[in-house]
Amino acid sequence: MNLPKAKGEESTMEKLIYLYGIIPSAATSQPLPRLKGLDGESDLFSLSFDEIDAVVCELDPEAYGEKELEKKTNDAKWLHKYAFHHHEVLMKLYENYPIIPMKFCTIYTSYESLKSTIDQHKQHMMELLENIADKEEWILKIYCEADKVKERVAGYNETVESKKEEIAAMSPGRQYLEKRKLDQLIDQEAEKEKQAFSEKIHEDLASLSIDTEVKKNWNKDVTGRSDEMCWNSVYLLEKSVVESFLSAIKKKQKEWEDAGWHMEVTGPWPSYHFAKIS
Amino acid sequence: MNQGNAPQTTNQSSNLVDVLETVLDKGVVIAGDIRVGIADVELLSIKIRLIVASVDKAKEIGMDWWETDPFLNSQAAIQEQDKLKEENQQLQKRLEKLEGKLAGNGR
Repeated sequence: MNLPKAKGEESTMEKLIYLYGIIPSAATSQPLPRLKGLDGESDLFSLSFDEIDAVVCELDPEAYGEKELEKKTNDAKWLHKYAFHHHEVLMKLYENYPIIPMKFCTIYTSYESLKSTIDQHKQHMMELLENIADKEEWILKIYCEADKVKERVAGYNETVESKKEEIAAMSPGRQYLEKRKLDQLIDQEAEKEKQAFSEKIHEDLASLSIDTEVKKNWNKDVTGRSDEMCWNSVYLLEKSVVESFLSAIKKKQKEWEDAGWHMEVTGPWPSYHFAKIS
Repeated sequence: MNQGNAPQTTNQSSNLVDVLETVLDKGVVIAGDIRVGIADVELLSIKIRLIVASVDKAKEIGMDWWETDPFLNSQAAIQEQDKLKEENQQLQKRLEKLEGKLAGNGR
């Protein structure tokens, strides 16, 4: 186990402590991978709290105080670099240990403060670690080619079909207005179709999972893709189920690709979504 | 087991959203002493994606000249210096040779 350079009494006092995550102490018989901390200079190390270890690095309080950090996190370039630093460190740790991943920039002003927070949550953390040890988190995003969905809805949807027949029997003036209304109806039906399709996929996958969470869809400005994100969800799986989960998705990908539905799965992730401490 | 599906540790833009929404939005929240409120994950994600995209695009169309420009890139500056040093040494040697010859002829 890596011993901290100082345990609170001496020089650690002035340094800030950046907390990456919590791992079981038993796991640290395997030494921590050699990694640099957030400032690119200090090394990562672990602080032992009996049954659990906190993986941390030290930061200079002047450069990473609250005000400075707020400036930094609102700088897109800085945020890009260090959000990925946090992610990469956690991925490295996750290769070796079960880990409770902390949110980006969880920082303590002293060892005592970290200790009191950990003592307060320790029991729960130990349970969590045991609980996530043999599980994996996977994220699924469904994208759709909106035009294809609309076309299909316009062609085959019953509500739309009957509306079209109604319009055909109208006077030309009414027809113009009603056609515009019909366009709106098609849009609505297309939205319903996206939701229904995604829910069906999700239900199939949820039946393999221990837990699921449906997340926010991001718009094209965020994804940079030409197709539209219509579903975003995350699954907690027993390790033994992962293979069938992935092959189920592969099957669905092949089945629906031509119709304009694209499914993307990533993982395994450290337990960002299902390790919760309240 | 996870053939090619693992979240990659490179900052590819396809993976960008996954990492940002997870690292910035999720993760266990226990009270730290220093709180960082990331004001607008969506807006910052867009900015980050644009930065990544513009660098990728620049590379694609060969607009990455600054990577070899000594004024803009320290690595390039070092290379440039090394080149100059080497050139200098060669010139010095040639000069010595010439001077030697001249001295020989003069006698």
